[in-house]
Amino acid sequence: MFKQVGNTVRGLMLGAALLGGGTPTIAQVANGEAAQLAELRQKLDESLKMIAALNARVQELEAARVPAPVAAAPAAPAEAQRIEVVETKVAQMEAANASHVADTTGLPMHGFADVGVANHYSWNPDLKGFNVGNLDFYLTPRLGDRTKALFELNIETDTDGTIGVDLERAQIGYTFSDAATVWLGRFHTPFGYMNTAFHHGSWISNALRRPAFLNFEDHDGILPVHTVGSWLTGAVRGDEGKLLYDVYIGNGQKIIGGIIDMRSAGNEHGQPIAGGRLGYEWTGGAVDGLAFGLHAFSSTISDDQLPQHDTRVRVYGGYVVYDTDRWEHISEVYFFDNQDLSGRTGSHRSEAGFLQLAYRSAFGVPYLRYERAALQQADQYFAQQAYGASYWRAAVGMRFDIDLKSAFKLELANTHITDRVRREYNEALAQYAIRF
Amino acid sequence: MHARITTDRLRWRWLSETLAALVLCLAPLASPAVGANLDQLPQRWRGDDGHLIELSSLAGRRLVLTMGYARCHVICPLTIGQLQEMQRRLDDRGEQAEFVVIGYDPENERPTDWHAFRTSRHLDRGNWHFLMGSRSDTERLARQLGFDFWKYDEHVMHGMRALVFDARGTVQVELGAETKDWAAAI
Repeated sequence: MFKQVGNTVRGLMLGAALLGGGTPTIAQVANGEAAQLAELRQKLDESLKMIAALNARVQELEAARVPAPVAAAPAAPAEAQRIEVVETKVAQMEAANASHVADTTGLPMHGFADVGVANHYSWNPDLKGFNVGNLDFYLTPRLGDRTKALFELNIETDTDGTIGVDLERAQIGYTFSDAATVWLGRFHTPFGYMNTAFHHGSWISNALRRPAFLNFEDHDGILPVHTVGSWLTGAVRGDEGKLLYDVYIGNGQKIIGGIIDMRSAGNEHGQPIAGGRLGYEWTGGAVDGLAFGLHAFSSTISDDQLPQHDTRVRVYGGYVVYDTDRWEHISEVYFFDNQDLSGRTGSHRSEAGFLQLAYRSAFGVPYLRYERAALQQADQYFAQQAYGASYWRAAVGMRFDIDLKSAFKLELANTHITDRVRREYNEALAQYAIRF
Repeated sequence: MHARITTDRLRWRWLSETLAALVLCLAPLASPAVGANLDQLPQRWRGDDGHLIELSSLAGRRLVLTMGYARCHVICPLTIGQLQEMQRRLDDRGEQAEFVVIGYDPENERPTDWHAFRTSRHLDRGNWHFLMGSRSDTERLARQLGFDFWKYDEHVMHGMRALVFDARGTVQVELGAETKDWAAAI
């Protein structure tokens, strides 16, 4: 009897295993996964009921204590062997099934989101209260070993508090070798460190926000953070580090309505932005985690005034970073050497920079940051920007990782605007950031 | 009498293992890793010393496997810390195991990066293996073992997870961020 029932249960079990562990095609999975799942659950329910009945029956038999035939003993090893075979087969089918299911997931949806509350909104001190930050979708379709693509679609709060949608990055690239990948499209301009190390997802960075002068153009940034053009990038590796390089050319930007626009469809005058960055990063040895680099770019940036100003913007600078399991120190400096090509205001020199110190502790990541921008207001490049005023800011903050996918950040800051309208304000900001 | 008790035990074992096997059928809904075997995984990997290694060659002892990336300063240090605690606990008991860390990001990392990682964290014992493979093998192994990850430029978004294989090379235990004491599981 046990053998008959055993065969029935094993048959059901293998049937269920085949349902759960088969190797469906992509179309089958797409069209019939729900039905298969329901069927599988039904079979399992039936099997569990049968096992419960068997269990009851075994207990009943045990209670009766009917002597087992001596001949049963030799059968035991064979039974155990069969169980082992079934176990192995189920495990194999299960493993195969797992890989096939994953193969049919298509383009995965990943990204970041954040919300917050502040007495002054991050990049508009006139707004206060609760705020929606970013909902940032990050798409990297698989195209093969050499062709790459990257899209970052960001739904964000604009400076006036309305919600807007922005295709922050749209890059299609080809990898020639480890040392050379060329991208075409809209990318984060490779200057400094932060602009290409941290992108639009707030969760990724320890600090609650970027330094103001390095913020995105439609927030309160003063640099052409995005470029639409072509970018060659790569790394040459050594034993204890790597040499990093970037060379790029793209559309010269334009200041429209006080905001730098990266001219995603081309500009009117045809003048480009062109630049490069060279850096070195230690990946071993006594200074593991240390990196430094130099960068420069030149662009002709016009505005929407009448008469129009065309400014040749030349920026050069450098960065030093120390990033380890314990420390995250970042410093960047930018020097502007701008010339009014319209010939009305001449040449102007300005500068900006920040220093951020952070410590990765068991309870969170405290950080300190000092940032400063001394921007010549006679320079039309800054004068025409809504957020082109000089300022300095001191901030202290803390990041708490609630779990592996969400973080809560706090920041207290004191900001001084030192020209245009002199103003000082204290900020208290909180942000809840996730990745998904 | 002895033969009868053995038979009864086997019946109970048969029932319990049938149930276990049925539960395994639902494993894709829960954890795809438990029950997987080293033999079913991509085999060709390169160690941080540059030598090729077959994953199944590590079978024969208990094996703890995780995935990581050498530039990770948040989750991977925690995971490695847990594995080091497991190693300490095993040493205390005079037991042995293999520890395997497979790199998530072969496009941006090289064996030399893992060698530097090993050196800087003093993980120089021979039973610790830092392995790298092709992108396709890495993704396949991650899928088979349920290591969910995605790349955000040069960052790798991943979880905190390890699997314990028995001496036959079969996954027995899955450890995650919710597991309080990883060392107790081995």
